[in-house]
Amino acid sequence: MTSTPLHFIGDALRHALLVIPLPVVRVLFLALLAGVLVWVLTLPRSETTEPGGDGQNGDGRGGANLKVGATIALVLQLAIYSLL
Amino acid sequence: MIDGKYPLAETLTLPDYLIILAYLVGTVAIGVSIGRRIKTGKDFFLGGRQLPWWAVGMSLVATDIGGTDIIGVGGVAYTHGMAVANFEWIGCVPAMIVAAFVFVPFFYRTGVYTIPEFMERRYNVGVRTALAICWLVFMACNLGIMLLASAKMMSTLFGWEVMLCVWFTAALVGMYTLTGGLAAVVYTDAIQCAVMIGGCLLVTVLGLWEIGGLSGLQQATTPEQRQLILPVDTPSPFPWTGILFGLAFVLSPAYWIGNQAIIQRSLGAKNEFQAKASYVWGAVLKNIIPLIIVVPGLIAAARFPDLADGDQAYPMLVSTLLPAGLRGLFVAAFIAALMSSIDSYLNSAATILAIDLYKRFLRPQASERQLLTIGRVTTAALLAWAVAFAMQLTLLSERSGIYTIFQTLMAFFQGPALAILLCGVLWRRATGAAALTGFLLGVAFSISLFALSQEAVIGWLGWRPLFQVREPFLYFSVWAFALTLSVVVVGSLMTAPDPAEKTQYVIGSKLRPAPEATS
Repeated sequence: MTSTPLHFIGDALRHALLVIPLPVVRVLFLALLAGVLVWVLTLPRSETTEPGGDGQNGDGRGGANLKVGATIALVLQLAIYSLL
Repeated sequence: MIDGKYPLAETLTLPDYLIILAYLVGTVAIGVSIGRRIKTGKDFFLGGRQLPWWAVGMSLVATDIGGTDIIGVGGVAYTHGMAVANFEWIGCVPAMIVAAFVFVPFFYRTGVYTIPEFMERRYNVGVRTALAICWLVFMACNLGIMLLASAKMMSTLFGWEVMLCVWFTAALVGMYTLTGGLAAVVYTDAIQCAVMIGGCLLVTVLGLWEIGGLSGLQQATTPEQRQLILPVDTPSPFPWTGILFGLAFVLSPAYWIGNQAIIQRSLGAKNEFQAKASYVWGAVLKNIIPLIIVVPGLIAAARFPDLADGDQAYPMLVSTLLPAGLRGLFVAAFIAALMSSIDSYLNSAATILAIDLYKRFLRPQASERQLLTIGRVTTAALLAWAVAFAMQLTLLSERSGIYTIFQTLMAFFQGPALAILLCGVLWRRATGAAALTGFLLGVAFSISLFALSQEAVIGWLGWRPLFQVREPFLYFSVWAFALTLSVVVVGSLMTAPDPAEKTQYVIGSKLRPAPEATS
């Protein structure tokens, strides 16, 4: 069985990644999700509510803020990847 | 008495068949009635940009879950455990949220119908054509594969003849997609999503009840079966490296940002805010999908540990758990799932054919009425093609290379397509010439990696396998993405910058909203 330069690159990467313990990997997964959550929470209001508004619709009702839905989705993910 | 050959068909009763019939008639009637209101090409391809966020969000989820996914993912969970849920969780949610606030509103403001159309505005006609052809070939082949795979699944469950199932599905989907276009697809998808979640949730709840709740499931399964994050050297196809680098960083963003069948429905939303809201709503729904398709696989593993084929796990569970009448609800959910994917790809393939090829090259001055006609003609032609292709595929062995190539087709160009899309919208200096070169080289590289993973090829070369995992498509996309990105960066720096009319399509540039996108 011949090995090529591609195999050497692949083997080196594989060995390097095998060294990383699974708890550290879990932190990587959680960091990705937490990073997206922090970014969502820092988005300006104009990006997450209906235009024309400060969260108010033309009819005077409070407009929806998409940060709420996005936060729910991401917090659920953080809980899932913390537990499983 | 269930002999296990056709576990569902053997237990269906008259109330079950009535529920299935009511669902089918209702769906088709709604789709066809929407068709009466379709007057223009924009109505047909983008639902007249009048679609509500909740329907678009449910359509996104329904499109992503195919008929074979419910049974197949349940089967994979039965065999490999919970790790397959990564495809619905980290393989969807973060990318959907980023897409909702960055890419979806940006594409919406440009007023385009398709991603290839955007590529011409940002780069050049070569990039548009290359991408349109890739998408069209993929979707056209995938339609045949989805029809056949769904028909085989129906045949396995109910004992019906395969080609009869192909014709049955094509006729059902064709009736409303042909008349109602995207609006019919989105509204019927929303119903299908509700039926699918309701039907499968019932299986999960009753299954958990039967097994003694979550603690019962915990006792009946091994820690490995319940693990989401698996080591690099796992025997399953889901090592964490493939999940994080291949799925979360490449395939998932490519799917939610660059897949025409997905992005098209958000372009049909009533306004930019609703387009964003549809993606956020879809991301919330995605959290529950593994609970209804993966967890039943684990419950089946605990209840029926000796099944020869994982694909029998979900049907066995349904046959033994659900009372008469409710089994019909699950069958309706299964049919809903397969219809919702096929109708979406059918409509999107017709859009690419009509907008990126017919209107772009044959009749640039085509009126809205002509576009509507051509949309319906291409939909009918694609459906006929899909049935013919499915018939041809039945003649091939599933072990043949051609069948595998078609199944892996999307992995060939998703990585390169994402690389040029990201460079295009995030980097002003990216040029059209470099993007086209990078895309073509990336696709060629992907195909080469695929070829070099085939036993026949490496045996002939006398090589060790390039990848240690089975089905290494997650890795093809990572390497093809990396190569394309490198070629675009180096190539762009070596070529003259694109003019301002092109670079206005970079996020952060002053982009005048297209008239049709402002209503």
